[in-house]
Amino acid sequence: MRGITLKKKNAPVLERIEITPPGTVVLPLIQHLGEPAEPTVKPGDKVKSGQLIAAAPTDRSVPLYSPLTGTVSALTTTFSSRGQETEAVVIEGTHTIPSKKTSADPGSLSPAQLTTALREAGLLGPGPFPSPLIRDLLAPEQAGSRPVKRIDTLLVSALDPEPSLGVNRYLAGIESEALGVGIASLKAVSGAEQVVIATDKNLPLPEPLRAIVAADEEETTRIVRLNGRRYPTGLPIPLIKAALVREVPLPYGRPRDVGVALCTVSAAVSLGETLLTGAPPVTTLLTVGGGALGKAGIVEVPLGTTIEDLVSALGGFVRQPAKLIVGGPLTGFAHYDPSVPLGKDAGGLFALTEQEITVVGSYRECINCGRCVAVCPVNLVPGMLSMYCAKDRFEEAAARGLFTCIECGCCDYVCPSRRPLVHLFRHAKHQLMEKEQ
Amino acid sequence: MTGPPDTTRLIVSMSPHVRGTLTVERMMGGMLLALVPAAGVGVYLFGLSALLSLLLAMATAVAVEAAIEILTKRELTVGDLHALVIGLLTALILPPTAAWWLIMTGAATAVILGKMLFGGLGAYPFNPPLVAWVVLKLSWPERMNSFVAPFTGERVLTPLMAFKEDPALFYSYDLWDLFLGKQAGGIGMVCGLAIVIGGLYLLVRGIIRWHIPVAFLLGVGLFAWIMHTINVDLYPPVGFHLAGGGVLLGALFLAPEPVTSPVTPKGMLAFGLLAGILTMILRMWGSDPDGTFYAILVMNAATPLFNYLAPRAYGRWERA
Repeated sequence: MRGITLKKKNAPVLERIEITPPGTVVLPLIQHLGEPAEPTVKPGDKVKSGQLIAAAPTDRSVPLYSPLTGTVSALTTTFSSRGQETEAVVIEGTHTIPSKKTSADPGSLSPAQLTTALREAGLLGPGPFPSPLIRDLLAPEQAGSRPVKRIDTLLVSALDPEPSLGVNRYLAGIESEALGVGIASLKAVSGAEQVVIATDKNLPLPEPLRAIVAADEEETTRIVRLNGRRYPTGLPIPLIKAALVREVPLPYGRPRDVGVALCTVSAAVSLGETLLTGAPPVTTLLTVGGGALGKAGIVEVPLGTTIEDLVSALGGFVRQPAKLIVGGPLTGFAHYDPSVPLGKDAGGLFALTEQEITVVGSYRECINCGRCVAVCPVNLVPGMLSMYCAKDRFEEAAARGLFTCIECGCCDYVCPSRRPLVHLFRHAKHQLMEKEQ
Repeated sequence: MTGPPDTTRLIVSMSPHVRGTLTVERMMGGMLLALVPAAGVGVYLFGLSALLSLLLAMATAVAVEAAIEILTKRELTVGDLHALVIGLLTALILPPTAAWWLIMTGAATAVILGKMLFGGLGAYPFNPPLVAWVVLKLSWPERMNSFVAPFTGERVLTPLMAFKEDPALFYSYDLWDLFLGKQAGGIGMVCGLAIVIGGLYLLVRGIIRWHIPVAFLLGVGLFAWIMHTINVDLYPPVGFHLAGGGVLLGALFLAPEPVTSPVTPKGMLAFGLLAGILTMILRMWGSDPDGTFYAILVMNAATPLFNYLAPRAYGRWERA
């Protein structure tokens, strides 16, 4: 797998930090690729923790639940974690763990019942720009009228999208009944014949995963060890290649096209907990770090906690931040507004100081060194593409594979001319898509 | 931290937000450092006048580049050290006897005709020092062919020139002597050991990639070995071809020059291999004793073609 290997010091701190939950959350109605959810509450309504506040009209969106017990104070607009402008529900109150409903034994549920549970849990797929998990995971029998291809392998990622994030690796190392229940349910829902769990070989093999493999009497579960310091191995399409040696047909293909359903350990754990407790997930785990924050580790926050609330709960900035990044340093989204909420698609919060980032002002011409070619995980010639994009020759870039680019940023990382390649590619894609409409 | 953090002055840009440490400046600085052994040995062998030649070439290259950029009202780029590299390499491939005006003409030609006319770093199709070398060679062939023996300054032929005169003469050379620099040649071309040390440094630091040097040396070596096997008396052994002339400097410093070489791994391998074979063809049957520089220039012209040897884009089964 082509890519870059990051140094050990970039690895996340896999220790939990406890914080005081905030009194206000902002829940964007869209936190993923697809369509927004439709609010079922209006300002002034009293809500309980775990209560539905926005419903998903199709499988292209996910339902939202209140993480607080309190009052809906407003409907507003905000940016989502990944920079989409969206409507949002503002709730004031106190965070409580949703009360348990009576729940059936997950093992006794039929695939159709599990599908309903998965739909109601509102989970997202893998990667920095996730889609609703339910879209890419259902077996043909569960997908209703939508014709879909059959899935033969469920790939569970205990790797993180990028080496600096750590939620999946953290969760894989924690003993919990939920992970096993989640994986078994996802297997049933997807109709997969085998389960492959991709883990980080730089860490000791997590005991809970070993137990899950040992518990599978039919021997349809196995573990693949990959290098978690290697990037972009943790991103969906390279991960499928690295773990299963299957190539998703880019540019428009999905994992299902090669018979794969991909989910993260955190999604599996959330589903497992939902099935065990009967209460939907209302919190999310984030990797926090960066020199401007005093602490680094894994933190559980109610969905919709704003950046500033989380920062103050972590003790505030200890240095002047130059960039506030939601997600990881390689694929994250830089925000200028600390009141942006952290949604299901956040994954991390990094407050980087000026010394930690590379400020790219003017950049040089490509010097043809070919380092981008050596690292591109989808075998493009990024340098040449970037020259076309910078000269507004977008069609020629598209003919040479612009839309195959997965925007991992490896080419940016290694470029000695400091060319903003991902920026140029996104600009070109945007221009071409606008022209098409 | 003094005062509360200011969250109204945050930088916004596209990902990735962190980058590697290799920059053009570092690459060029590394090139200069890697050339120090070869230049040092050259100065040791040919005296202080060689040092003056090197300094004059570097100063000329920087001055010419700066002058052009000031005249054309462009951003000054001499800070990226590339002009220094061009100047140094140009001087290293000139004979130690080169007059001051020959050196200055060479360095200026390399910068003007080789680099700036095409738009500066990243845009030129041919290796600038080699462009200068060809211009000088065609304009002043006598001066470009007057080589001297190390230390003594006595006028002698280079091993390859001697071989051209009489193929049997190659037996009079000790290969280790050649490799250690006891031969006539360009200031920086005589000591193979120093060049290899510099080249290894470049490889270890990742400033050049292994594909072109390995393929180039393989092309030269295989060709020489086959010819030597066919007729031991007529064709010199592999070591003679590697240590004599510009093969090592070409393989490690000139051919892998990023701007004028291919970007794809397969393209690099083909580029290097063909450049090596072409070098040998020119040496065996060409009119010039050393074909290395011509071979590299010819392959530079073909670089866009080698870039078609791109890896298959992911998920696509047919050629784009």
